[in-house]
Amino acid sequence: MNAPELTAHGIAVRLPAGCEGRIYRRPEPLAAFTPANRGARSPATAATGPTAPTAPTAPTASGGATVGRTHPGAAGWLGERPGAVVHLATFALPVVRGDYGSGAVESMTARDVFLAMLEFGPECLGTALYRTGSRPRLRPEHFDPNGLQRRIAGQSGAQFFFTERNRPFCLYVVLGSHRRAEEATEQANVLLNAISVQAL
Amino acid sequence: MTAVLIVQSVILVVLCILVTGLLRSYAAVLQRLHRLDPEGVNGGALPAAQPFRTAPGVTPPRDPPPATTDAVVTRAGTQIADRITAGGSSEWGAGHDIAGSGLLGDSIAVRTVGVAHDTVLVFLSSGCSGCGTFWDELADPRQASLAQGARVLVVTRGGEQESVGLLREMASPTTDLVMSTQAWADYAVPGSPYVVVVDGPRGRIKGEGSGTSLQQLSGLVHQALADKAAAIGSAAVSKPRSDMEREVDVDRVLLAAGISPGHASLYPPTDSTADSTDGATPDFARTQPAEQLSANHRPAPRR
Repeated sequence: MNAPELTAHGIAVRLPAGCEGRIYRRPEPLAAFTPANRGARSPATAATGPTAPTAPTAPTASGGATVGRTHPGAAGWLGERPGAVVHLATFALPVVRGDYGSGAVESMTARDVFLAMLEFGPECLGTALYRTGSRPRLRPEHFDPNGLQRRIAGQSGAQFFFTERNRPFCLYVVLGSHRRAEEATEQANVLLNAISVQAL
Repeated sequence: MTAVLIVQSVILVVLCILVTGLLRSYAAVLQRLHRLDPEGVNGGALPAAQPFRTAPGVTPPRDPPPATTDAVVTRAGTQIADRITAGGSSEWGAGHDIAGSGLLGDSIAVRTVGVAHDTVLVFLSSGCSGCGTFWDELADPRQASLAQGARVLVVTRGGEQESVGLLREMASPTTDLVMSTQAWADYAVPGSPYVVVVDGPRGRIKGEGSGTSLQQLSGLVHQALADKAAAIGSAAVSKPRSDMEREVDVDRVLLAAGISPGHASLYPPTDSTADSTDGATPDFARTQPAEQLSANHRPAPRR
């Protein structure tokens, strides 16, 4: 069987063997987030389909909204314009998870790798953070247990910012076991190289 | 001479009776076998089977197989057409990974083959009147135990054949759903609702069937998943993952260093062995088989 290919929002992924992935973009929140509407169904979700492809996203390096159809205001904030998100993993991705993998990384085994590539808005273009040039090549020394969004025993993570085809991205990679960083980094590079970005 | 003829005639009559009895019993066996497999290996050379029936609310298959079922149909019930391979033996079909789209235009690829977990594929449709119970049950977290740790994935046809708006209303936010017409073709789904259990490690289907609810199909799913549960064994000791990994790593390092189960260096020196440097095997090694040690990943404390 041919490798499954994901294509959406100007991003394509030819999945390597044993991996699965999703490309999505959260609908624009129509309500401000409050604790009361956390977990409620998004009116945007129920009423609209995918949003316009140029939607920028306010940068956030932590947290992450819940994806899928669980998201309401809980998944963002009023005025947010979410961008495309790519999730690739060597394990089964749960349907409810954050942009940065919360809800998914907890189920990783030592042999697993999780990769999230998030697109940010055009206002980030040219800023110092994203001016690093091309997509990084991952190395074991990039990964650190303190590089995780939320520390999980045994795991390590790394985060990068770059611009590709005039689209600013954040790359966040989690290794299931920091002790296997060498081997896992190779896996992560295979995943990363499977992604191709098109200009919009 | 007359006596000999009489004896031979009697023997002949007895033999005829025996042969007739054997032929009758053989015919009875054949009839019973035919009821179990009406199609036969030559595909219908035998008399036609009873027409296929489904329970109320269940969409009948497009190409009805010659069998009768009440509600839950399994391979034994012959609703599932046997896959006759070129060699003439029947076996379950191969599993297929699933690629499609989500309800919000997302692109999704899910692995069902070559993965550690099994996958329960629930084929549903927006226009299926018998699927309502499935949608409700899938939204109920109490039904999670049905899958026994397997991944549950709802598969509908592609957006061009489904009402995406209706699906958004019916599907729970926590329901993992992929729209993929290709998946329906790959798994030769006869109609909805339909459930297929895919053995992840082996990459083959291990059970499939239809019914009116997930609860009703739970027997099928449990049966399909039972093999793995049996393989794991009820005596398995549950340990935190990190503990298991640490113990395996420690075992590997120790073995690489030439320290096998029972090695003296694994035990604190005692009065009797403190002065001994000859690596004598402690008592533990003679009472604790290496296999058991390996299973426990570490030696028990010396008593």
